[in-house]
Amino acid sequence: MVYSLSRRRALQLGATTAGTFALAGCVGANSTDSNTGAEDGPLAPGDSPSGEITILDDNTNQVFQDSTIAAFEAATGITVRTYTQGNFNDLHDRFATLFAAGDTSIDVVMTWAGWTAEFGQAGWLQELDSAAVPDDLIQPALDAVSWDGKVYGLPKFASVQTMFWNKNMMGEADLDPEAGPQNWDEFVEAAKAMTTEDRWGFACDVGNPAGAYQNFLRVLLLNGGDMYDDEFRPIFNSEHGVEALAKFAELLTVHGVMDPASLQTTNASDLGDQFARGSTGMVFNWPFQYAVATAAESQLDTESVGNGLIPGMSVRSASIDGSEGFAISKFSQNKDAALAWLQFAASAEVQREIVEREGWFPVSQTVLEDPQSREALPVLETYEESTQYATKRWGVPWSNELDQLLSVQISDVLNERTSAQDALDSAAQQTQELVDRYLG
Amino acid sequence: MATTTRRPALPGPRDSAGRGRGRRLRDFRFGLLMAGPALAIIVLLLGYPMGYAFYMSLYDWNDKLGGHRPFVGLGNYVALLGDAQVHAALGRTLVFAAFTVIGGVVLAVLIGALLNVDFRGRTVVRVLLLVPWAVPPVVNGIMWKLIFDGATGIVNAIGLGLGVFDERVQFLADPDLTLSVLIFAEMWKLLPFLCLLMLAGLQGIPANLSKAARIDGANAWQRFSRIIVPNLRVPILFALVVQTMWSLKVFDTIFVLTGGSGGPAEGTTTINFLAYLVTFSNLDRGYGAAIAVIAMLLVLVFAVLWVVLLRERPKGARR
Repeated sequence: MVYSLSRRRALQLGATTAGTFALAGCVGANSTDSNTGAEDGPLAPGDSPSGEITILDDNTNQVFQDSTIAAFEAATGITVRTYTQGNFNDLHDRFATLFAAGDTSIDVVMTWAGWTAEFGQAGWLQELDSAAVPDDLIQPALDAVSWDGKVYGLPKFASVQTMFWNKNMMGEADLDPEAGPQNWDEFVEAAKAMTTEDRWGFACDVGNPAGAYQNFLRVLLLNGGDMYDDEFRPIFNSEHGVEALAKFAELLTVHGVMDPASLQTTNASDLGDQFARGSTGMVFNWPFQYAVATAAESQLDTESVGNGLIPGMSVRSASIDGSEGFAISKFSQNKDAALAWLQFAASAEVQREIVEREGWFPVSQTVLEDPQSREALPVLETYEESTQYATKRWGVPWSNELDQLLSVQISDVLNERTSAQDALDSAAQQTQELVDRYLG
Repeated sequence: MATTTRRPALPGPRDSAGRGRGRRLRDFRFGLLMAGPALAIIVLLLGYPMGYAFYMSLYDWNDKLGGHRPFVGLGNYVALLGDAQVHAALGRTLVFAAFTVIGGVVLAVLIGALLNVDFRGRTVVRVLLLVPWAVPPVVNGIMWKLIFDGATGIVNAIGLGLGVFDERVQFLADPDLTLSVLIFAEMWKLLPFLCLLMLAGLQGIPANLSKAARIDGANAWQRFSRIIVPNLRVPILFALVVQTMWSLKVFDTIFVLTGGSGGPAEGTTTINFLAYLVTFSNLDRGYGAAIAVIAMLLVLVFAVLWVVLLRERPKGARR
């Protein structure tokens, strides 16, 4: 029997195909398709995980590519099909696209406190069972992979900001190179003394929303303030917050000791390189700054890099947390194997390498207390000292929106377009709307 | 007795019209058949995502709220009306578009007219004009970011060297200055295409028109405004429509120039970039889709506006 394809039949076929595509798009808006896989509860370690995994990381750690992957494959028999590094500033939106599409090709993603809260609440990260979490993890590192009482991953390194200073510039300014400023007033005086025609006493990275938020949170904590009260109401526009922001802005607008290029510096790596070039007296930066500043291509070395607590305004010191970790995509088809990677990255063996080769703090208490670690990374001593003072990050599901709205206000203050009080009042009002939306 | 003469039954106008209609119908069907596959692809590739975007815009679809996505109808569009962030982005978009569309086309006509003059080295200049067009958009963004860098940029070095600046200017730190840099970078990228478009149009204008006008005593401005511009109506209309679309949709240069933030202080966040930020950074897909739909409507409105304003009216239509 021969079928002929008439025009009418062809049109019917076309219409049916188009209709099918259209209907495919009309998924129920109240469906929970983003939570597919919700049938399985928290992930516990499997008996003998196998298979292959794909990892999407930021470009912070080279050690994984250099040695960890090979060691992991040898130890577990699991294959790392691909390990890709992306720029931190681009990764969030890349992850969001992958997750929203329910992409199954990525098993492990890098995360930090804000993304853990955001993607965890969206149902895109696999919750871990307590049996999957090593016992000796330090709390700040575990916080970076947790939200709302649930653990969504395992940390890969711990991190807080400390102060680094250029001992050479300190000496040239008749300051004691061995002792850093102990409080904010001493810090301002030191910055003034080190500022010359072609050098700046201080530099920071407020050029993008995340940087603006971090710099504000740090001075807020340094002045004894906080972001939220116990019921998550924003209180950063308190007297402490306003004074903190005003004093921070004065570094640029009144004292003229902050490099104006700070307003366009968009990440800590650029700031780290800037300090290593020897044209900046002091920076508040992540632990990796020590490794960058003492690297062969740096203008500085172990003798000329000073490190200590960040000087406080109304408290002795405070800092912000920047710990990172790995999480498993809810859409992964290889969750057991992915969990094995997370556990391997958090193991003492890998953590020692991260401390010694990259200058980040370990996530394991055992490695943190190991004298060998302190010998390899002198900054660890400051880290231990800083644990006595407030160190927060406030990673929340609305982190991105908060960064965005705060950055506008902070930029306006730094460009002298508004007062610190007005800026923070406006930001607090907008933040309250976000809190209401996400926490109901 | 009156006699009547019956005309022979010749094919009358009715039959002729009927045959004409039949032919037109057959032509239409044939045309539809030929264009059908292309139309189907367009519907699938463009219509489906556009329809899906509109569908999403009717929901409070924020991924961070889990699977709860209540239907809000036109609620997102109503919210847009009172959203200061959207108003600011629209304002920036219009400023950006005004410079890059009007300014771009005016400059292109002037440069095109200059390139149309016969001078030594004209070919070299035309080839050089193509260079910015050959640079990929991302590289264009990176290039201007380095050039205008507040610490190491060459603009600062030249400005300080010549004594134009008293101190380094932070072009990428001040929202207004960064928007100016963005406009400059986009103009640099778009001008070659527009200029070549105008040049092609200019070369289609008979040279003796200008010669005759000159003999009649018309000066350079009169020849430019009375002969060149009217004869460039079609390329100008095309340039305005296309450039308006590109300007309202600008993304890559903003992304690279500002490190993906649309900053500083949202100073370069145009309506299209805001749709991106809301959708992908805030994961608020419903609201982001509503902004994207508005951006699309904006493109359509401006495109239609240009066509209506510059369409060629039939001679004698207004008596």
